[in-house]
Amino acid sequence: MDSARLRHVQAIFQQAADLSEAERPAFLHIACGDDEELRADVLGMLAADAEGHSLFDRGVAGMAGRLLGASPVPIDHHDAFGPYRLLRPIGEGGMGVVYLAERKDLGGKVAIKILRDAGLSPARRERFATEQRLLAQLIHPSIARLYDADALEDGTPWFVMEYVEGVPITEYCRRRGSSLEDRLRLCRDVCEAVQYAHEHAVIHRDLKPSNILVSDDGRVRLLDFGIAKQLDALDQPIDQTQTALRLMTPAYAAPEQMRGEPVGVFTDVYALGIILFELVTGQPPFDLSTRTPAEAERIIVEHEPPKPSAALGGNRRRWADLDVLCLTALQKDPARRYRSVEALVRDINHYLENEPLEARPDSVGYRFGKFMTRHRRTVAAAAVVFAALAAVVAFYTVRLARARTAAETAAVRAQRVQQFMLNLFEGGDKEAGPAEGLRVKTLLDRGVQEAQLLNREPVVQADLYETLGSIYRTLGDFARADSLLRAALDERKSVFGANDREVSRSAAALGLLRIDQAKLDEAEQWAREALRQAQGIRPTDNAAIGKATFVLGKVLEGRGAYDKAIPVLEDAAKLQSSTSGPTLELAASLTELANSHFYAGHYDVADDVNQRALAIERQLLGERHPRVADSLVNLGATRKERGQYREAEQFYREALGITERWYGSDHPETAGMLFMLGTVLSAQTRYDEAREVLERALMIRERVYGPVHPRVANVLNDLGLIAIKDGQGHLDEAEARFLRVSSIYKTVYGEHHYLVALAVSNLASVYLEGKEFARAEQLYRESVARYTEAVSANHIYTGTARIKLGHALVVQKRYAEAEAETLAGYQIVTRQASPSLVWVQTARKDLATIYDALHQPEKAASFRTDSPK
Amino acid sequence: MKRASERGGDRAPDARRALDELFSATYEELRRLAYSVKRSDPSVTLNPTALVNEAWLKLARSPSFASTSRLHFKRIAARAMRQVLVEAARRRHAAKRGGDEDVVFVTFAEGLDQAVSSGQEMLALEEALQELERLEPRQALLVESRFFGGLDVSETARALDISEATVHRDWRAARAWLVHRLRRAER
Repeated sequence: MDSARLRHVQAIFQQAADLSEAERPAFLHIACGDDEELRADVLGMLAADAEGHSLFDRGVAGMAGRLLGASPVPIDHHDAFGPYRLLRPIGEGGMGVVYLAERKDLGGKVAIKILRDAGLSPARRERFATEQRLLAQLIHPSIARLYDADALEDGTPWFVMEYVEGVPITEYCRRRGSSLEDRLRLCRDVCEAVQYAHEHAVIHRDLKPSNILVSDDGRVRLLDFGIAKQLDALDQPIDQTQTALRLMTPAYAAPEQMRGEPVGVFTDVYALGIILFELVTGQPPFDLSTRTPAEAERIIVEHEPPKPSAALGGNRRRWADLDVLCLTALQKDPARRYRSVEALVRDINHYLENEPLEARPDSVGYRFGKFMTRHRRTVAAAAVVFAALAAVVAFYTVRLARARTAAETAAVRAQRVQQFMLNLFEGGDKEAGPAEGLRVKTLLDRGVQEAQLLNREPVVQADLYETLGSIYRTLGDFARADSLLRAALDERKSVFGANDREVSRSAAALGLLRIDQAKLDEAEQWAREALRQAQGIRPTDNAAIGKATFVLGKVLEGRGAYDKAIPVLEDAAKLQSSTSGPTLELAASLTELANSHFYAGHYDVADDVNQRALAIERQLLGERHPRVADSLVNLGATRKERGQYREAEQFYREALGITERWYGSDHPETAGMLFMLGTVLSAQTRYDEAREVLERALMIRERVYGPVHPRVANVLNDLGLIAIKDGQGHLDEAEARFLRVSSIYKTVYGEHHYLVALAVSNLASVYLEGKEFARAEQLYRESVARYTEAVSANHIYTGTARIKLGHALVVQKRYAEAEAETLAGYQIVTRQASPSLVWVQTARKDLATIYDALHQPEKAASFRTDSPK
Repeated sequence: MKRASERGGDRAPDARRALDELFSATYEELRRLAYSVKRSDPSVTLNPTALVNEAWLKLARSPSFASTSRLHFKRIAARAMRQVLVEAARRRHAAKRGGDEDVVFVTFAEGLDQAVSSGQEMLALEEALQELERLEPRQALLVESRFFGGLDVSETARALDISEATVHRDWRAARAWLVHRLRRAER
């Protein structure tokens, strides 16, 4: 039976049903011919139509009542738990019951925890199963093993864990009357287990004494790892407070958990702090037993814990250090706690060895109500990244294999993964998280490994490769980005063939990577490939064409071919405007369009377009996002080019603030902002400030990009200019800088790029300053020629170059030749720039000198007045 | 000379992911409601439409459902309800398999509905519905909406963007085909 057949059957049925009983046989004879099966089907349908029907006419109510009214599957149903047989309940707590159980075939005791009332939807069930498999990989002597996890037919989850006999850690210490040192050592054992888990990107989230058992031989065992995490996944985020309270034991809950904010390793640090406090003093820091949930929340979030030394009284050496140890872990603001469990362990060791602690006492009173710090965000992101990656990888592996309904198959794609991941890394940092083991790169590497296992799912694998590749690109690891993006493209080509949106996207991503790598020819090839693919898609996919066009435009811009880049980028923006509402892709195209206009000297247009981009970015991303900073910089750049340095400085400082807050002070993005600020400070002759800022930028960029990169050249260029302008005679330094700049630009862009002209022109200025006029003149001529070829004869840079050439001639008293150059340059420049520009003033001064010397006093006079024209 | 570098892609909220979240939330809520109703009074007749309404009252307040219309919710709830019942049927079926070897066939034609295994009925319907989905997806949606979600003719027409006349016609044809198929499977 296929669709056509069904339609045929139904059509005949409809017609037959509308006829009277008497007329039907004849009609059917004609309609069905000798197709017996067809006739049988139609007759069957007619019969069904005529008669009442129990199920359909009653509706689902009755059936539902019977189905759902049955009691849940009895717990000790012998098949319900696979190879395990339940023996007897041994405890109750949290969200479920714990049973002692044994393996039917091998004997051997295990503990099975069953979570009642936690019916999972199918989607979450699969995610849950995958995450359990990951948790089972936590193998550590102090962590109770999670052997297996599954769900009953109705969705009730159950876990098989190592059966641990022991008492809660606080009870253990109390019974034995353990010494302070013994308690600290036990606590350290606990911390080491937690640290191990953190290195595997698992956060416990529910550490408390009842989860930390100590056996007779003094061995510590941690229970319920990750289970709290799973419960988070089960509950819907409908009511955060409810979720928080239901899941946690309030006494051990961290302030961020109470407030429903993201958790991270710092959350476990806090819980360890509470446990440490309790072990040291014999009681927990907050007594919440008689409090309502609302009161408890307020206490945890706002009240400072007492000092352990105060709680204990008495007199003991090194109480102060003990206070610091506990209270640092218990800080309300996660950023002020121990940055990792490892750090806490180090201080415990210091204490035991009678050494000074690394943590500092917090003498200044701490007020709650703080900001979200960068570290908190990136740490949370790091832990979530891995879970998301792993969950998604397995999600697809399982899901695609068993996709049932139409709604589930094709629609489930890595699009959402990619967006999720890129969002996390939008402001990504190379080093996220406090501990070595949690670097984002490590997580990404693991992600790549997981993705490589998906050889039987090339589509999914390709999506994941592209996601990971784009992230590597954002982080600047071009080599990895390249291999991943290429792999994604190859897979997609083999699966989808040509003229496919995904293949186009891959090609575009590779184009962008090449631009970042400053390989513009290859970038253009990729861009054109992406465009070819995109244009072949049916129905017409404007977004894909727009994206490919954007990449092409960026390549043209990178080459300095602004006249070509502008229409291309306008096209891209138009294509990307046709969907509903503004998107970031549109903002990106507008930004590049604005840049092209800027480089072409169309400052007003550049401002307009930048304002449009900025508006979109503010709307979609908020005020503190790096892209907003970029647009602010672009607005500053036009001010700068027009000589409005104060305004430009304001824009740049605002942008720098956003960037530094987001990325930190050592990040290449911050270097970019510093560079911009330096140039504008330099333009205001605040040379010392400028140099300081630029040298910071240079250091960062050389470290990140290596010595031969346009971004390094940019900074060197401006440092060279300062060396000339500050009048301190640093001409050798200036010369060295510009020679380096020129060599970099030639290597990267080739001989015909305007930036080479710029470098030459600046080099000439060194010689001019050093009074080597002939040499300066020669280089200025060269720069004019290069500019004319690279941009145009009427470009502001060409104009400035001619003014400089004229100046070199004036200084050599060759006034007639000078007039031609200076006048021409002056005319070009004044068409666009503010008259306060220094070269404009130089030109005016020179022209006055020239006309004096050429005996044309009226003209000379006209160039002497303060405001021209 | 700053060049803003391209950073990320389109961030428009992803419909697919949002839909899955809505579905999961609806599924779990319906299930919770159904079981809690039954637990408090085992003899009460469950009314799925009432469950859907109740679930909507609760979920409508949540931010995830802020941009979901009541009609759209009913569509999701229809799918979720179907899922809930299928799961329950499988559970019963599994439990039965352990002991009772007698497979009780559904006999629609005789109208024996009290004694039959509702689980079997549901599973048979599910199989038939999946086949219909394969052949005529819109009809399957229609059946799902009306049967599991309790949408009336006008709501169904709006949800599927078809005329009411089409709803009547398609419902008739789909019903006939499904029943015919169910009966045929029993023989």
